Amino acid sequence: MAERQLPAAFAELESFIDWSLATERERTARRQTIGMAAIKAFYDAMVARLDEILKYLNDFPQESAPDDVRRLFFMTLSLAEVAPAVENFGQPGVVDGYEYTRFVPVHD
Amino acid sequence: MATALRASNEKKWHEQYPELGTGPIPIEPYVSREYFEKERALIFRKVWLNAGRVEQIPNPGDYFVKDLAVLQTSILIVRGKDGAIRAFHNMCAHRGNKLVADTGGTCRGLFTCKFHGWAYALDGSLSHIADEASFFDLNKADLGMTPIAVDTWEGFVFINVDPHPAESLRDYLGEIGTGFVGYPFGELSAELFFWQTEIKANWKVVKDAFQEVWHIPTLHHKTIPNVFSDAVNKYGHALNFTLYPRHGRISLGGNYERKPTTVESFALRYGSGATVIKHASINPPKGVNPMRDPRWATDGNALFPNCLMYVSERSYLTHIFWPLAENRTLWEARFYYPKAKTLAERFSQEYAKVILRDINMEDGSTLERTQTMLASGAKTEIVLQDQELLIRQHHKVAEEYISAGRQDR
Repeated sequence: MAERQLPAAFAELESFIDWSLATERERTARRQTIGMAAIKAFYDAMVARLDEILKYLNDFPQESAPDDVRRLFFMTLSLAEVAPAVENFGQPGVVDGYEYTRFVPVHD
Repeated sequence: MATALRASNEKKWHEQYPELGTGPIPIEPYVSREYFEKERALIFRKVWLNAGRVEQIPNPGDYFVKDLAVLQTSILIVRGKDGAIRAFHNMCAHRGNKLVADTGGTCRGLFTCKFHGWAYALDGSLSHIADEASFFDLNKADLGMTPIAVDTWEGFVFINVDPHPAESLRDYLGEIGTGFVGYPFGELSAELFFWQTEIKANWKVVKDAFQEVWHIPTLHHKTIPNVFSDAVNKYGHALNFTLYPRHGRISLGGNYERKPTTVESFALRYGSGATVIKHASINPPKGVNPMRDPRWATDGNALFPNCLMYVSERSYLTHIFWPLAENRTLWEARFYYPKAKTLAERFSQEYAKVILRDINMEDGSTLERTQTMLASGAKTEIVLQDQELLIRQHHKVAEEYISAGRQDR
């Protein structure tokens, strides 16, 4: 049995733990390479619980969240990353857009 | 439907600024190497340029380096032991090596040249000459780093490489500068998201795209088609334009009736993150929402020559365009937010940041294609409409600098 990675209340999201990524670079790379089916599965699972997730995360300041909470938080950042793919573009990347690897985040 | 924005059949903004004219704009400034060299010599080497923010160098010894091809130099910006910010050409006086090779950090002692070990203090003075006895008739006091004029405005660090700037930063910014007194730039700079890209387009092609918004319903129809437009104001006409002698502002009304996407609606609940946020301020600084319009969402401030600053109530963003050549630009996009109090608020900012970034990607591909065709020679002019007033103003101000510089020779 694998060790629990997320807060117990969100245990059913454990199978999406690979979306818990700390940097924009990692999140963008996953969005752009994993394919729309995996994006949609993750999006649907997160949106189904998003109301509770955000209420839960709203009790934690940025600096002092336990590791399991932080992992869940990083998953919400991945949700923000893939939201335009699902809601706006219907494909992983920006339709007819600039090459994403050329738009380099300096903040990571 | 919410309150209607300015409709297309009203009086045109250009009528308020008849000196700008209404004719076509030559393509040459977008494609010509010769024109680029004029911009370099007579604009960029003469004016105050936004190089960064004070938060990058909070403590004595903190420094950052800007390599600016358009100025043909590398600039070292450093906070001294006395707390003052200074700027220098990043060059050793011995044989000319670039003194600091990295992009920033904290200097605990001296800036030491990696070539022969000459070393400089934080105030730019030459402090140590290796093998000094073997040199001839050196006067250390004359061999410090060459200073560059530097000043700050609202926490932004501006530099001017003219050895004798024609005017102070305060005078250069003038009325648009004083209009921001009281705007919380410092507080809103806590969360910085910063991207760089080298785009294959003239710097004005990129800048132009960010100083008009009526392309949004068309180019950005998949992302934010109706953020500044609605059924009445279908092209997203501005609430107001204000032009100053060099700089200008476009004020935009938000369409708060638009239906957010699923994830955006969650982002909206937790604060700073969304594409438009309805403002609540009773009394912002006079240069922010200058018409005190309840429909207001954001102002785009064009600081001549290469900085655009979009200011909303609780966030702001800047686009700075550093020319590399007549057809290449280093584009720096920075989105600034207040410190997120909770992880949920930080998610909200992430949504806003990602959608704005993706919108920029929609611009980027279009702008490179535009450059290709401008360079084709198929046409010699482009045309502008009323909402493109700031583009027209840029060309007028640039021409004034270039013709004034010619006369100085």
